[in-house]
Amino acid sequence: MKRFCFVWLLVILLNVVLGGVVFAEMKNPDTYIYLTISEPDTLDPHFAYDTASGEIINFVYENLIAYRDESVTELVPRLSEAVPSADNGLIKDDGKTYVFPIRKGVKFHNGRDLTPEDVEYSFERGILFDPYAGPMWMLIEAIFNYGSLEDFVADKLGMSWEEMFNEDGSLKSEEYAEKLVSFYRQYIDPAIEVEEDDVVFHLVRPFAPFLSILAQNSNWSAILDKETSIEMGLWDGKAENWWKYHSLKKEESPLYQQTIGTGPFKFLEWDRAQQKVTLVRNEEYWGEKPKLAKVIIWGIDEWSTRRAMLEAGDADQIYAPLQYYDQVKTLPGVKVEEGARITITAMHFNWTVNKESKYIGSGQPDGEGIPLDFFSDVHVRKAFSYAFDYDTFIAEVLKGHGIRIPSVIPRGLLGYNENLPMYPFDLEKAKEEFQKAWNGEVWEKGFKLTLLYNTGNEARQTACEMLKENIESLNPKFKIEVQGVQWPNYLDAYKQGQLPAFVIGWLADYPDPHNFIFTYYHSDGVYGGPQGKLYADFAQTHFNALIEQAIAETDPEKRAALYEEIQKIAYENAVGITFYQPGEIFVMRDWVKGWYLNPMRPGEVNYDSIWKEE
Amino acid sequence: MVFYILRRLLFLPLALFGVSLLVFTMIGFLSPYQRLATFINSPERLKSDNVDKLISFYGLDDPIFIQYFRWMKNVFQGNLGWSYVGKAPVLESILIRFPYTLELAIFSVIPIIFLGVSFGVLSALHHNKFLDHILRIFAVVGWSFPDFVFGLIVLMVFYSTLGWFPPGNLSIWAEEIVKSPAFRHITGMLTFDSLLNGRLDVFWDALRHLLGPVLTLTYVEFAFILRITRSSMLEVLRRDYVRTARAKGLEEKAVIHKHARRNALVPVATVSGQTIVGLLAGTVIVETIFNRTGIGSFMAIAAQQLDYASIMGGTLFFGLILILGNLCVDLSYAFIDPRVRLD
Repeated sequence: MKRFCFVWLLVILLNVVLGGVVFAEMKNPDTYIYLTISEPDTLDPHFAYDTASGEIINFVYENLIAYRDESVTELVPRLSEAVPSADNGLIKDDGKTYVFPIRKGVKFHNGRDLTPEDVEYSFERGILFDPYAGPMWMLIEAIFNYGSLEDFVADKLGMSWEEMFNEDGSLKSEEYAEKLVSFYRQYIDPAIEVEEDDVVFHLVRPFAPFLSILAQNSNWSAILDKETSIEMGLWDGKAENWWKYHSLKKEESPLYQQTIGTGPFKFLEWDRAQQKVTLVRNEEYWGEKPKLAKVIIWGIDEWSTRRAMLEAGDADQIYAPLQYYDQVKTLPGVKVEEGARITITAMHFNWTVNKESKYIGSGQPDGEGIPLDFFSDVHVRKAFSYAFDYDTFIAEVLKGHGIRIPSVIPRGLLGYNENLPMYPFDLEKAKEEFQKAWNGEVWEKGFKLTLLYNTGNEARQTACEMLKENIESLNPKFKIEVQGVQWPNYLDAYKQGQLPAFVIGWLADYPDPHNFIFTYYHSDGVYGGPQGKLYADFAQTHFNALIEQAIAETDPEKRAALYEEIQKIAYENAVGITFYQPGEIFVMRDWVKGWYLNPMRPGEVNYDSIWKEE
Repeated sequence: MVFYILRRLLFLPLALFGVSLLVFTMIGFLSPYQRLATFINSPERLKSDNVDKLISFYGLDDPIFIQYFRWMKNVFQGNLGWSYVGKAPVLESILIRFPYTLELAIFSVIPIIFLGVSFGVLSALHHNKFLDHILRIFAVVGWSFPDFVFGLIVLMVFYSTLGWFPPGNLSIWAEEIVKSPAFRHITGMLTFDSLLNGRLDVFWDALRHLLGPVLTLTYVEFAFILRITRSSMLEVLRRDYVRTARAKGLEEKAVIHKHARRNALVPVATVSGQTIVGLLAGTVIVETIFNRTGIGSFMAIAAQQLDYASIMGGTLFFGLILILGNLCVDLSYAFIDPRVRLD
């Protein structure tokens, strides 16, 4: 007994010495600590295309306009003094000209004044830079109707980039230099112009979502300081040699790890050993200053560690995947908010599989594989669509945090209509469709294929497994293998067109149906190509013209009608299976006040308006 | 002795060259699209349709020997390339993480070897008695405990419940001091630097952050040393010279400490060397659970993402540690056992 007492005494003593925190209390009242799972990729606003980078850039830089609080439709001025509209006369020429009166009295973090020239420079630098796999295609599509700067150049000069440049980036001939200079003078320079205190954008055709591509949260439209940029070694603002500043390596951009914005927070440090970024309040901010003095965004991969730090009060908010909902909903002193971003997860089919594919069995309609064009038969696609148990998936796997939607347009966007037809989960109908597929051959001989998912994504794994169970239950000759592979292998198979079907998600770049419809359905969309040659042919006759018509339409009602038409075609042809639009949980301490979610905001926290209070 | 060391060191570049060639060749078997994963590291990155251009931009489709020569040329110019996982040059990425790993290794290796050897000797001396059984059970449990399970238990008990050993490297207040211009960084290791700067409060804070992982590593690692010490000791105790020592009437203490233990330590030195080298190569899981991102988790992520510059840099670094570590182990034999001659 004595010894037992001694141990307890020791524990209490140690507790005093080591400063135990058995009861979590609010620490660091004006510092906010958010634990996430990733670290930024780059701080260059024209290169970053991931939420972790966007989260930093969004509070250090500012855009011309912004969303009002939680809304994704209502815009408010930011560095522009007004939001252009047809009513205030700042949108002209039937939606082809946009005028932004630039705010006066705004200072960059280094003390320089914001000028309209900074705005013009920022957009031109981004468009000329257009790094591979970066986000600049959005502005290039909106303003010039091309998919990339190199495509634009190639089309106007009649020569591809590779024809003009050596591998080391030098020009093959001096005469190309003149052509490139005149390309800049003829197309890029006049598209964005300074007129006194205004900046004017000239679009080649009306582009309905243009303003949302410019709005705050879109790091690609952030405003940089021209003079400082040039001093740092960014594009020098001249027509000559602009191509030397095109598509640098990520680490070669001078803005990779330094910032020159006007935003409410200044960038202090990016500790790469600890995956930790620190921001401090901009005391000279022109707008309402943030209540927090310091923000720490810290990448901690292990869930248990994040949870333990939240419990101890060493973190104010943590990233929590849905599967941990049960663990956090009852934690004392912790609140769980719910919300949804504009994102979907869908399965699409490859109508012309690459013949090298290892995932189609024999590659023949002999019951031991599938032919390359297996999914070009609408009955096969319909049968798959009927065979997924949508409601059970959302209830069990997503724990109710998610909804089913008719097509690839998420709820909350123009053109979303919950009354559009959807395939119910109906195994009888699935069986009927399989019997009709390939003139009964599929039903008679059976088939065998492999569905791949990249390991670590449990929701996608479960979705594939549920589909497999249901389809295999219809006919003993149906065999689906579900295989998890590491991401590099998945990427390889996907890019080589070897996947017979792929599950893939899309997070909105800007809140407009075009961003989803074009991506999934257009033959030039990012997910259009991987659906194979036969799909591209189909899209050209059924989708492309309608999609292009919809984007140039300025009347929202007519646009919505066009998008409904596109969705009906997608339904009739069972182009893909949209599994769900997921919900999310946001886990924070009770002392966090003023939190809200804007679905377009990268990251989970509104650092500029949040505060801590017991 | 000096010649022996020089000879071993001359062999070093050759070994590193061989290792680098081997690893690079293995990377060469991967398709350019697989290697694109370095730049397009998750499905969310497939958002622009010109990702394919990255392949020729980074020369991933060049013949593998050209890629190897390009890499070699840069290495000779002191440039190990850019680490996409470390988000910094490869050398810098390794050097900013290594002090954390080294510090953890230094603090762990002392209790691991001390406990392993003393319990091992104790166990052998009480061969098949109660104490032996207890120690062996204790050791086997530790040895068979997966480190992530034990690490999580330590985190839950000593952090969540008691609040003693927080994860990470430092508290926020201490980090502000360490990052202030007045604080001099000498070793890169927080405990030593804080002592050298005369900041006992920071030292105390850094030590608290270290103890959780140290405790975990000690418990899961010491059992190995214990078992080797025990069996080696048992064998030595049966030797003739121990019997002779006893027969000539030496005190039991002297027999054990002077004659038996010293001889029993030769195999222990070998496995201790391996343990130290293993700890220096990083401990992925312990680093992850206690959020002390060192060299281990860095290399694990680099391998997953096929970040070849980081993999190659890490390979050279580990090769260096391994070769130097083994050299030290070999040298230590000569000190433990004068019969061993190095020439």
